[in-house]
Amino acid sequence: MSFTHLHVSTAFSAHYGVSWPEDLVQAAVADNADALACTDRDGLYGTVKHVKACMDAGIDPVVGVDLAVLEEGAESGRVVVLAHGGIHAAGYRALCRLVSDAHANVGPKSLVGVTLAQLASRTLDPKTLAPVLTVLVGPSSDVGRSMGGRKYQLPRRKFQRWHQQMPAGTMAVEIVTHLSTPGEAMSTAQAVRMLKLAQEFRVPAVLTNAVRYCERDGAATADVLDSARVLSPLADLSGPELRLQPNGQGWLKSGTRMTSLGKEIMRAAGFGAGELAQLLANTEKLTDRCRINPRTDMGWKQPVVPEASVLGIERDPQIELKQRCEAGISRRFPDVTGSRARVVQDRLSQELTVINSLGFASYFLTVAEVSSMITDMGVRAAARGSGASSLVNYLLEISQVDPLRHDLIFERFLSGKRSTLPDIDIDVESAQRHNVYQRVFQRFGAERVSLMSMQNGYRARGAVRDAGLALGMAEEEIGTIAKQLWRFSARDFREAMAEKPELREFAERVEGQRTEAFAPNQQLDLLVDLTERLDRLPRHISMHPCGVILGNGSLLDRTPVQPSGLGLQMSQFDKHDMDPMGMLKLDILGVRMQSAMAYAIREVIRIHPSKAEVTAAGNHPDSGLGNGPDYIQADGRIELNSVPLDDEPTFELIRSTHTLGCFQIESPGQRELIGKMAPREFNDLIIDISLFRPGPMKSNMVKPYLENRHGFAPEVYPHPQLKPALAETHGVTVFHEQVLRTFDVMTGCGLAQADEYRRMLGNEKGEPKMEDEFRTAARARGFALDVVDQVWETLKAFGSFGFCKAHGAAFAVPTYQSAWLKAHHPEAFLAGLWEHDPGMYPRRLLVAEARRMGIPILPLDINKSAGEYRVEWVQAPDAVASPHLRTQEKDGVAVPRKLGIRMSLAGVYGLSAAELKRIVAHQPYASLADLRTQARVSRPTMQRLAQLGAFDALHRKAKDETGSTASRADLIAHLQNLPTRGKKSEPIEGQLLLPLGDLELTNLKDKLPEPSAMEKIRTELDLLAMDVSGHLMSSYGPLLTSLGVTTADKLLGLRNNSEVLVAGIRVATQTPPMRGGRRVVFISIDDGTGCVDATFFHEAQEKSGSLLFGTRLLLIRGLTRRTGPRGMSLQALEAWDLSQTDTLPLPVPTKGTELPSESRSQLQGHIPSSNLNPGDPLRGTRRTLAVTGLGG
Amino acid sequence: MGMFSEPVEVIRSADGMPLKLRWQGQEYIIGAEPMRWYERRKWWAEESRAERGHGSNLVDHEIWRVQARLNGQGPLFTFDLSHHLDSERWRMLCIHDAFRARSA
Repeated sequence: MSFTHLHVSTAFSAHYGVSWPEDLVQAAVADNADALACTDRDGLYGTVKHVKACMDAGIDPVVGVDLAVLEEGAESGRVVVLAHGGIHAAGYRALCRLVSDAHANVGPKSLVGVTLAQLASRTLDPKTLAPVLTVLVGPSSDVGRSMGGRKYQLPRRKFQRWHQQMPAGTMAVEIVTHLSTPGEAMSTAQAVRMLKLAQEFRVPAVLTNAVRYCERDGAATADVLDSARVLSPLADLSGPELRLQPNGQGWLKSGTRMTSLGKEIMRAAGFGAGELAQLLANTEKLTDRCRINPRTDMGWKQPVVPEASVLGIERDPQIELKQRCEAGISRRFPDVTGSRARVVQDRLSQELTVINSLGFASYFLTVAEVSSMITDMGVRAAARGSGASSLVNYLLEISQVDPLRHDLIFERFLSGKRSTLPDIDIDVESAQRHNVYQRVFQRFGAERVSLMSMQNGYRARGAVRDAGLALGMAEEEIGTIAKQLWRFSARDFREAMAEKPELREFAERVEGQRTEAFAPNQQLDLLVDLTERLDRLPRHISMHPCGVILGNGSLLDRTPVQPSGLGLQMSQFDKHDMDPMGMLKLDILGVRMQSAMAYAIREVIRIHPSKAEVTAAGNHPDSGLGNGPDYIQADGRIELNSVPLDDEPTFELIRSTHTLGCFQIESPGQRELIGKMAPREFNDLIIDISLFRPGPMKSNMVKPYLENRHGFAPEVYPHPQLKPALAETHGVTVFHEQVLRTFDVMTGCGLAQADEYRRMLGNEKGEPKMEDEFRTAARARGFALDVVDQVWETLKAFGSFGFCKAHGAAFAVPTYQSAWLKAHHPEAFLAGLWEHDPGMYPRRLLVAEARRMGIPILPLDINKSAGEYRVEWVQAPDAVASPHLRTQEKDGVAVPRKLGIRMSLAGVYGLSAAELKRIVAHQPYASLADLRTQARVSRPTMQRLAQLGAFDALHRKAKDETGSTASRADLIAHLQNLPTRGKKSEPIEGQLLLPLGDLELTNLKDKLPEPSAMEKIRTELDLLAMDVSGHLMSSYGPLLTSLGVTTADKLLGLRNNSEVLVAGIRVATQTPPMRGGRRVVFISIDDGTGCVDATFFHEAQEKSGSLLFGTRLLLIRGLTRRTGPRGMSLQALEAWDLSQTDTLPLPVPTKGTELPSESRSQLQGHIPSSNLNPGDPLRGTRRTLAVTGLGG
Repeated sequence: MGMFSEPVEVIRSADGMPLKLRWQGQEYIIGAEPMRWYERRKWWAEESRAERGHGSNLVDHEIWRVQARLNGQGPLFTFDLSHHLDSERWRMLCIHDAFRARSA
């Protein structure tokens, strides 16, 4: 007979369960079970996956939870709660609410769990008062736990309490034996005593195995999870008071085994076959009561959107949507008439037909509502993803991309062939993301909104740490091993040991321990095995970075919620659960670049507070009325989304490859690609972004595209009919949209079916059948066999990983906008980048970029620096004649002024947010005493500010007044030597300071020399993570000269294939996927004149060895490689650590010089050794990572 | 109570119940219903491997407590035996009563 397991933890019981729902279901089905429960600990984390697996396997799901019961603020035990099924969601709803209750307990310890009273109150339906939940009181409950030591009265009393408090028909006794040592927890003896209690109180008893793993093998994994959960080594948990499972018997045992366990219990209890039959019958009876109908009980696959009334809509949503779209036409296409207008109308009615047939009108209205809410908050927002394919989205102002203009296909986004809710993703300013979330909660109400969660599983590093913890290994030792684990899954640890050079040493240690006759410590092999066991197992859930769930008033009946880090409630379901549960998820993603651009626009308007000033400052074209362009408002505000997409200076900037800081096109690989491609129009940017993806890069689509684009090779089309689809990329298939059109042209299947075909590409099951259909249909339409073959090969190769053009188009908008800002308002743009740090490079590289562009970087100043990076007017030094030099009318005289960027106080190491707020609130300061009194700045901060020169201006003023000649070093020394308690010198609060000037500064004794330029740079790197006053490579000048190093700005003037030496500080390291699988390492270094991108192929990697990843200052020998009209990169041959002076390839004097002997000592005779050996300026700095972007 | 870890031969009935032991050249006949349980092992200290898929005997071992008479006669002795499931090997873990092994 079949047996149903009613107490099963899946892997989604974090740090507890071992097996995946699918595996458990498979095992149950193999044993002829027709139902299986999922009762994860603390939540319904695995429930949706379990239900799906049950449906796929054709068995009934049972859903429940394993919850702690709280008594006087502590956990008294745990019980399983099962939802009754087939009662129109009443059971599932109560379960969701109960789980949410369990997470809503706020208190000092905020334990997850419910009180007995809470539990009892949820077991009956509030309307009908019928039982909707069943609580299993078993060995882990307070009753079971109190059975130790052969106590009889205590467990009985506890059980009696349960019996009294739980409504009739909502309780069962859970009988479990794990066959542990007689008398211990989970022993047969304990099961017998539970059984007798059930009998005495006439409560039905059911048999379970409190399952934690599918098979016996999982028991060891469960031990490691127990250790990780309580953060103690296994050895400590297995003492006299066992805190691990008693043994390894908690697996999904077969029905036969469960029956014989039941028999054993009955024998021990002195009962017979009748009682056994009763126990098993009770178990089946409860199972039948709890069989869940996913559709009627959980609302499976039934999309739910907010009620129309919440959106403020009174009429039919379809009519509302249609009218809003039509209103959008006159806004988005004001001048369109004739056939163009008909195209717009046709597209609109096509989209609306599909939307209406799927019943999604409210969905679009909801997204539009959120979108306009964000815009009304004054927050920049842009839709991304395939949503850009929809004209409706464009008309509703959800998306900024015109799908008609870019030839985007609606069917790629939504079609009548699919009924899953489409994804519309909205990018917002990262700094405003949390505010946006709060507003969504306010707008729709907390009963309709929840954040989505995500599961965080074990990856190699975390797995090896927890495996090491379980084995009781020293933390440092584990740390050393963990650091060497890069980019492979924990499951393949042993395999990686054999292959990866960085693990070679570890592999040898493991091997060594194995062969030693009496290995003192055999744990390394175990460590590897346990690490592999932990792979991917969920560790905890956290707030998803962008998912927000929007539903109607019943949302909390359909998902349990728990508090997120933000305080807002978070669903226990993750993105995979959304579609099955019919949940509408909006991705509201925080994008730093949007914040940076918003900041730049605010800086522009602050510095140029009128349309005329902005137009002049940005060299913007006139609209013809002498009044500047339409996208600049009267107050100087730039409407970035209205800027035309054909601005020539922007494309010039892009083609120059000086695109550091620009969205999507700043990486070395992208700069090389845009150099080669030389984009001329917006569509080129879409293609560029779509080409720079792993798929196209790996399959070498880039080369033929570029060759065709530049006319080096003839464009090839498999058939003339395909030319319209492929012409924009010169015959190379780049976009999903092209794949769709190709299918359509070849088979006449229509675009909706074409997208279904596309989804089958690369799918083992679907592809062969689809290939047949494709071939038959194409042949029937008269395409020759060789054409069909050729097209199929292309589709097969590119289709599965090509890029959706709508994605590319949506990405290209901020790419273009950021380049536009950099071209026209570089100072404000750079200030925005520093403020929000959106890019891949360390901030200090952008200092170098500012320097390259001739933008003054203004040092920290206690009176001029704010809490942000600010654009500031400065007197232009005569010597500087940069392209950004501006003249300003002042008293009728043109004064050369230019814009610089003032360093922010927020960047100073150790300066607290509260200090910053106080400093800014009381600016300006007349003296140091003034600063101390008003802003209450701490001593260390005072010293750091002095070290960074923030008091230099004050100091200069004092010196000018008195003729004092003290240096910055004197000031620092003075601040260090001040008595700790400076109370005496501070005036009483409220007392006014006399305007005596700064006695402290004027009285400084002149003892120490001014810090050297290098010392200042070091301090800046240390405290700001930026070299502001000069480039840190400047100290290497003499050494670089003697090495014969070429600077970055000179590379472009060299011939292709010239051998050169370059030197600089590492700013980026990348190992992108490459054709053929051989690793290629890209290293970018910055030398103060620009960036050099060096490519290390296999041989150069071998030669450079450990320098590749570990070194911060590099000397690289390589060959110049022209990448385009304005691009030059380096193919590296060899690299050295620049700070290891004695290893460097200093030149051997050439023949003809009088110096015959060894070079180095001779050369060092010419150059003062102190100049030649400046040491590593980064050594010992606190924030090396921030300076070099060198992770790990 | 003596502690051992010596191999022992166990003859079982069709449904797996031990009937006889052969140990140190002597035969003992089971004289009362045996008890069985699974006892935890400190596998992390005793084993050097725990490969995924090969850990079914890692965490616990099967223990049988049997009472038997030497050649079916005389007093009942109580033995704890461990049973290794994969290899079907049995070992003597301990003898509870004041039994002096002849080999000792």
